[in-house]
Amino acid sequence: MNKKINTLKPEFKIEKINSGYRGCFNAMASPCEVLIEADDAQLASRITDLVANEAWRIEQKFSRYRDDNILYQIHNAKGKTVEIDEELSYLLNFSQQCFQLSDGLFDITSGVLRRIWTFDGSDKIPTRKQAKTLLNNIGWDKVSWKPPYLTLPEGMEIDLGGIGKEYAVDKAALLAAAITDKPVLINFGGDLFATKPPLTRKAWQVGVESIGGSDKTGLIQIAAGGIATSGDAQRYLERDGKRYSHVLNPKTGWSVAHAPRSVTVAAPRCIEAGFLSTMAMLKGKEAKSFLQAQDVLFWIQE
Amino acid sequence: MKKHQKITLALASATCSLMGALPNAHADISADYADWDVNAALLIYNESDRVTAVEPVISAKKQIDTDESIALKLVYDSLTGASANGAVPTNIAQTFTRPSGNGSYTTTANETSLDDTFHDTRVAISASWEMPLSRMDKLVLGGNISNEYDYTSIGVSSLFSRDINQRNTTLSAGLSFASDSISPIGGIPDPFSEMLPAGDANYSTTRLDSSESKTTVDILFGITQVIDKHSLLQFNYSYSQVDGYLTDPFKVISVVDAITGIPIDQVTGVAIVSGTTLSQVVYENRPDSRTKHSLFTQYKRNFSGDVFDISYRYMFDDWDINSHTVDFKYRLKTSDTTFWKPHIRFYQQSEAEFYTPFYLSGSQPTAGTNTTFATADYRLGEMTTTTIGIEYGHVYENHSWSLAAEYYLQTSTEPSNKVGELNNQELSPDVDAFMLRFNYDF
Repeated sequence: MNKKINTLKPEFKIEKINSGYRGCFNAMASPCEVLIEADDAQLASRITDLVANEAWRIEQKFSRYRDDNILYQIHNAKGKTVEIDEELSYLLNFSQQCFQLSDGLFDITSGVLRRIWTFDGSDKIPTRKQAKTLLNNIGWDKVSWKPPYLTLPEGMEIDLGGIGKEYAVDKAALLAAAITDKPVLINFGGDLFATKPPLTRKAWQVGVESIGGSDKTGLIQIAAGGIATSGDAQRYLERDGKRYSHVLNPKTGWSVAHAPRSVTVAAPRCIEAGFLSTMAMLKGKEAKSFLQAQDVLFWIQE
Repeated sequence: MKKHQKITLALASATCSLMGALPNAHADISADYADWDVNAALLIYNESDRVTAVEPVISAKKQIDTDESIALKLVYDSLTGASANGAVPTNIAQTFTRPSGNGSYTTTANETSLDDTFHDTRVAISASWEMPLSRMDKLVLGGNISNEYDYTSIGVSSLFSRDINQRNTTLSAGLSFASDSISPIGGIPDPFSEMLPAGDANYSTTRLDSSESKTTVDILFGITQVIDKHSLLQFNYSYSQVDGYLTDPFKVISVVDAITGIPIDQVTGVAIVSGTTLSQVVYENRPDSRTKHSLFTQYKRNFSGDVFDISYRYMFDDWDINSHTVDFKYRLKTSDTTFWKPHIRFYQQSEAEFYTPFYLSGSQPTAGTNTTFATADYRLGEMTTTTIGIEYGHVYENHSWSLAAEYYLQTSTEPSNKVGELNNQELSPDVDAFMLRFNYDF
């Protein structure tokens, strides 16, 4: 079940672009890029190397599909207590705070819902009973987390997918900013962070892929900070004309009704933007009023 | 009311903890550690017809590192009013000499004898330093000093704690030491010597040194057990050894006529008639050591924002005093920013073996006897106290305030060996007090 992937050392590429250099690689099942505003190929290569390795490190460490990491240990502890390293401890603390801030809507134990919900565009909707049964295995409040000790009841899972990519963006940006004061933009599959405004223009131009039929492409400008998007046009179920979004409420086990197709949020850090965009999706038709109350820049596609 | 809570500030702080110093976050982080958390409180305490205390407190805490902090506290106490001198009341006014030996005061008939010279101010400073020793071990070191007109106290303390059993259990051990000295106005009275009239030439013969001291050593062992995600249970045992001068130099014991129960006139040697001359009283004497043991247990539970807190303490000592305290608090969260906290406390104590509310004339020890102990201080007598209170508070992002009001009632049973007029008097009347406390955190 836990196949080893990425056993070959992955690679990255560097190319010269107008404003400097662009580094590309694949990580976390997404195309990733690093834009470095400097006419220095060596520096660009060093930064891309650093950023890519950080992305791969985080992916390997927190992937649910490996048998050589801490998540595998946790999921195979059969209800026993596991001692957690410092980095994951910080992530669990953060997730716990998100759980509290969202009144339980943001829950890293909700990943088990994938067992009954497969968003492949089909009409395979689970039964309410199936969802209800699964709720016994969901809920951060069922977990005992006394740093550094974590006790996960058997049958429960932890999935950092909701924050992992954004966390990797912020961490990579931290590493990049530590070795250069040139502007760097890090983009992991649409979740991004800009360390400072570009030298040549006032702001970075970020294209937002249009979804849902229209071929208009939105353009977002940010000077610095993080941007994250939640929502995926390809992931839904449909039955009797009703569309079921891939956003699942961990308290009901059910697809959130009237969730926007996608929500993009700008915030000081990528992980904050990610949490706010996920929260907005979970709020369903309240998405807009929720984000308005947060005083952040956002774009919603209904 | 807004439909959606703004969570971006809390989120930003959670992110800071997660990421540490991001490039543009330096200022925020350093601000977190550089600032002092300051708390100011004002306590007003009023005992009906007796002491009034006003006590401003300022405390400040500074986080040096994630689990290292220092705290400072400054207390200023101002006490005014009258306090019981230990003498029995009678149906005639009584006259007593002030502790200085110069001047006298007269108390009202049928009322507890109060010394109205009571006025004092106290300044206390304490500091503590909490530091991690290792991932599971913590040490808190503290020091305090307080000073008032006739009293000085210096103390040091240490508390070590270790988390075991996956942080579900905390073991702690503490040791503290204090040294106090007292230099009462008029000096230290000779035990059982008679109070002399104001300005009496022999006044100094009833006095020993000008000052006395005592030392206190406290040892504590505790265990705190997390029961589940929402509750914890704590047990403490503490041992306290006090050595030195434990007598209260201002407290006296009445000498009354064995038949009529009327206080004896210090000059004529028979029962007082008008109360314009001094009543016969002797200075009290307590043992020069006291060993206390106390057992404490506390249970706390959190119900989705509300906190239930109950504790019980049993104390016994070698003065034969034992006491039971039950304390109950409930913090009721009424909104995200407000709470109410009702508080009830019951306390019951037995009397010290040498508690002596009065002497029948002729039975009092002779001056200078230091092998016999006696006190008429009601605080060492049998008593039951009840405290009820309520606190209301507002908690905001950057500051919070609360206001608490408490009512205290103390009742005691009367001595069984009362004679004559004493049967018409209340030797241990009820004492009640009202307390108001305002707290501001910024």
